[in-house]
Amino acid sequence: MTYIYQLIVILFIAYLVIMLFREKKIQNQINISLVLIPLILRLLMIK
Amino acid sequence: MKKNKISAVVLTIIIISVIITTGIEFNSMQEEIPIYPSEGLTEKKQLSDYFEGLKDTPGDTEIYVFEGEEEGGSTLILGGTHPNEPASNLTTIMLVENLKVDKGRVFVITESNKSAFTHNDPQEGSPHGYHIETTSGERYFKYGSRATNPIHQWPDPDVYIHSSGQKLSGSETRNLNRAYPGREDGTLTEKVAFGITSLIKEENIDVTIDLHEASPEYPVINALVTHEKASDIASMAIIELQFQGIQMALEASPKNLHGLSHRELGDFTDTYAMLMETANPSQGRLRGATTEELIVTGKDKIYEKAGEAGFLFVEFDENGHPISERVARHATGIKEMINSFNMFNMGNEIILKGIPSYEEIISNGIGSYLE
Repeated sequence: MTYIYQLIVILFIAYLVIMLFREKKIQNQINISLVLIPLILRLLMIK
Repeated sequence: MKKNKISAVVLTIIIISVIITTGIEFNSMQEEIPIYPSEGLTEKKQLSDYFEGLKDTPGDTEIYVFEGEEEGGSTLILGGTHPNEPASNLTTIMLVENLKVDKGRVFVITESNKSAFTHNDPQEGSPHGYHIETTSGERYFKYGSRATNPIHQWPDPDVYIHSSGQKLSGSETRNLNRAYPGREDGTLTEKVAFGITSLIKEENIDVTIDLHEASPEYPVINALVTHEKASDIASMAIIELQFQGIQMALEASPKNLHGLSHRELGDFTDTYAMLMETANPSQGRLRGATTEELIVTGKDKIYEKAGEAGFLFVEFDENGHPISERVARHATGIKEMINSFNMFNMGNEIILKGIPSYEEIISNGIGSYLE
């Protein structure tokens, strides 16, 4: 089950990274960054 | 390169830096804290020795066994059921580093919910640990979470259904003191509870003492909660504590509140199950900043004001409730519960040595009794 969960997290991270580079507004880029940090920590099973 | 691409690259570098620094910080909680057992230690076991299902899991934990030369009764002392109640864990570490047993057997678990020592409760702003000056220098001890690490056990259900059928909020599924007697095929927390229940059955533990702390605004505080089978032992212990000037209330374990050690271990095994609570301002809702100082000194101005206003269930003045006082209460409570057991079980006594008195811990500080 953990692997399926991690796969879902990877998909979200990939989508957000694409969004980060496509986004024009800096505020939205910062928002995306704030969401990415806990997601990546969770993907690595750190927090 | 376009302006938004440059900012994306800069933010990516920041994200990676934050993940590396916080990752190192969070992972540091996985490290073991050294314990220096006394010469009285006869054996070190693992909880997985009693329940194979815990082997190589984050729930497997050390059991320190002290056996006297003479046969007698046996006791299990549980510390660290809730790692955000630090006097519980620290009392058991102090026991492991000082205890000698003349008669009977003593089993001590310092990190009953080992997984809960590997993280903090989110949004509580708690430090990862605290320092205490000891005879050999400054030592570090962990301050963990009330519940099992969600990395080790997830997801939480919306409703946690205990094996008795009792329904609790979903997050309680990771609370060891709502998981007894445990389930062989359950969650990690239930497996830990099952391991402890198996240990009690296999070793014929006569007395089980679970050490806890509570917020000063919580009604069950400076109290000894007892299963009805152990009420004689607990009552005698309370009387002895009162004679020594240590205020301790006697609370009966509610029969319809399931999952708690003092209820289920008493119901499902032959042990006399008791639980002790001291006042811990670092876990209360009225506290100010949760700092190492608050954990160690137990002083908090907001609690002082709440105490003056009569909103608390313990006296709270400018002296607070330092960790030395809380450990002293636990240590003295354990001694009196064992003495009381001995009175009712002549010939099957448990005779302990090396535990400092209440006055000694208060006047010299807990650090004097740690290596």
